[in-house]
Amino acid sequence: MPLLTRFLPIAVILLLWEAVSRTGYVNPNVFPPVSEILLRWVQIFWDGRIYPPLWDTMWRALAGLTAAIAVGVPLGLLMGRVRAAEWFFEPLFSFGFPLPKIALIPLYVHWFGLFSLSKVMLIFTDCLFPIVLFTYHGARGLSSVYLWSAQSRGTGRVRMFWRVVLPLSLASIYDGVQVAVVVAVLVAVVTEMVSGGGGLGELMIRAYRFGDVRTAFAALLTVSLAGYILYKLAQWLRGRLLFWHVAEV
Amino acid sequence: MASCLDLRAVVMRYGAGPGAVNALESIDLAVEDHEFVTIVGPSGCGKSTLLYLVGGFLRPTAGSLQLRGKEIAGPGPDRGIVFQRYSLFPWLTVRGNIGYGLDEQGMAKAERDRIVDEYVQLVHLEGFEERYPRELSGGMQQRVALAQTLACEPDILLMDEPFGALDAQTRRILQDEVRRIWRRDTKTVLFVTHDVEEAVALGTRIVVMSARPGRIKEMFVRGFDVGDGEEFEADPAFAELKLRIWRSVKEEVEAARA
Amino acid sequence: MRIVPLLLLICAWQAAASFGVLPKTLLPSFFDVAAQLGAHVRSGEIFGHTAASFARAGAGCGIAVAAGVALGLIMARMRAVERAMEPILLMIYPVPKPAMIPLFMIWLGIGDFSKVAVIALACLLPVVVATFNGARSVDDMLIWSARARGTSEARLLWRVVLPSALPQIAAGVRTAIAIAIIVLVSSEFISAEKGLGYLIFSYGGVGADDAMLAIVIWLAALGYFLDRGYLAGLRRVMRWHAFAH
Repeated sequence: MPLLTRFLPIAVILLLWEAVSRTGYVNPNVFPPVSEILLRWVQIFWDGRIYPPLWDTMWRALAGLTAAIAVGVPLGLLMGRVRAAEWFFEPLFSFGFPLPKIALIPLYVHWFGLFSLSKVMLIFTDCLFPIVLFTYHGARGLSSVYLWSAQSRGTGRVRMFWRVVLPLSLASIYDGVQVAVVVAVLVAVVTEMVSGGGGLGELMIRAYRFGDVRTAFAALLTVSLAGYILYKLAQWLRGRLLFWHVAEV
Repeated sequence: MASCLDLRAVVMRYGAGPGAVNALESIDLAVEDHEFVTIVGPSGCGKSTLLYLVGGFLRPTAGSLQLRGKEIAGPGPDRGIVFQRYSLFPWLTVRGNIGYGLDEQGMAKAERDRIVDEYVQLVHLEGFEERYPRELSGGMQQRVALAQTLACEPDILLMDEPFGALDAQTRRILQDEVRRIWRRDTKTVLFVTHDVEEAVALGTRIVVMSARPGRIKEMFVRGFDVGDGEEFEADPAFAELKLRIWRSVKEEVEAARA
Repeated sequence: MRIVPLLLLICAWQAAASFGVLPKTLLPSFFDVAAQLGAHVRSGEIFGHTAASFARAGAGCGIAVAAGVALGLIMARMRAVERAMEPILLMIYPVPKPAMIPLFMIWLGIGDFSKVAVIALACLLPVVVATFNGARSVDDMLIWSARARGTSEARLLWRVVLPSALPQIAAGVRTAIAIAIIVLVSSEFISAEKGLGYLIFSYGGVGADDAMLAIVIWLAALGYFLDRGYLAGLRRVMRWHAFAH
């Protein structure tokens, strides 16, 4: 289908929105025309106002995510291949996965302060769960044939993790990372909305306090776009890293 | 007496232009009441397509398909179909599946249950009425599918390689069951298979189809009765007919590969 | 057996607090937290907040399930609706839903309306996507089988498509429940006068860590049992389906 007709529904909605907000029946400060929102979006990029909060949100999200990968992947592999580790950690992570880690914001603020550290730590905590669980399931479900084949060629127990278990679990690990990318941006914004300290979340809350719908909307568009680009980047990287991987049915 | 099913110059083409596939080319076939017609042919010869056309799931590119003198316009309960893959409704019990078609006719519950019990007995599934499909073996699932189809009392039974996914022993037992039910009720059956032995053991008339585009290549009438047991397998006439049909099919298999 | 690691962790926590390894200013002991939870349950104070929170989450999630299942089914069976909705859903997909809270507070005020609306919007997508995928992947043979037994096109939706899609819908609703709780807590942190999120936030604000953790544990336990209860209910209602695990 040509792109034009495909995105026709969106164009219709935006035009309708524009028209309604210009009739004067709605308060343009509460429900501004799309054109003005887009204008504001361009403006905050033009005058550079958006870059500091965007940078804050992104580096926090990426720092938390990186830490979660650094800790979560080894832990998940260990759980997948060592009985005792599985016995202890698997129930904890399965139990904790669906729980709202966001509820720990006040505790983390107490522990790590109001500023970036508490936010990064919460992002780390929240991202840890999908990464550990996906890695664990990947490492656990490996076909023994590969392990036996490596063993018979003299691969030792420790080298096995690095040479065989990790590469074979990579596809599953990556699925976990993709989930975590979405979580990281989301948690970053929520912590900023709740406890301030700069970032797009705080920008939106401030815009709300001043009743500035245009900026709130422009910030929302920025977060969404940034999250989307990050997700796509991760997807692209997957193809690069896992070019040898054949999806199993 | 008019035929039960009458196909005239049926053509089926998938797609259009140079990429089009001719699945069926000019099929003429009349099926009389109480006949058991089996259709054999190499894979991809369009034999299942032919059955789906009779079922009304597909529309022919050209030609006419009539059931009791009336043009087939869509699926309906006058033609019961059993598919190769298990097509039972997983959320219904054995009882619910067998009674499905009766429910759709708006039958009262007591009457429905009586008929369902009758068919449960016919296919030997007593004691499994409240089981769900996933709790049954493949053979049992096909028994349910058969009962579900028979319970609607169709004018003609369409079977699309119904035992193709079963192991050899279960298949033999179900073939005997189908023959027993056919001999009892003398239903009209159109049965598609790629297994020559199955085609001869079941069909009173055996249709051999050519490699694609599918045409009717040859027809064989089984002149002897096979009875209820398995004694017919020792009959030289059975072995001879089987061999003749296999030679005919083999040519097409080889043609398809060439 | 699976509870043992959790109990071990709690024992270690309590032991560390009892032997003074863990200062009270950093983390109150488990017994203190448990005592706070007991006091809140005894006074009945916690139930009003729980009811307020779950009314919001329930309303939002309920709206999302009703609308999402209907929309997903229609999209799967009608090409025109699919074409109209797909780009719109694609556009909403990457938006982190809790980030819409400020906007909804401007539009609908800081009361329950804005919270329910954001929760509904956040829960809608997983339900629509699951329903659509479930309804789209219904086996042709099942549809043909039903048609051959006299089911009309209109009844097909109810008799075949919906039950076929049910396992996927159920999984989508499970995701939606988890999302509802996350968005609920976020929105109650940002603005609320009642609810579990409000309670956690206000105890945290005055440094009453034992009471705050008591509510966090209460919320976690409720979330856990809600999920277990939902799964157990599914297993009963959908006995015909082979669940993973």
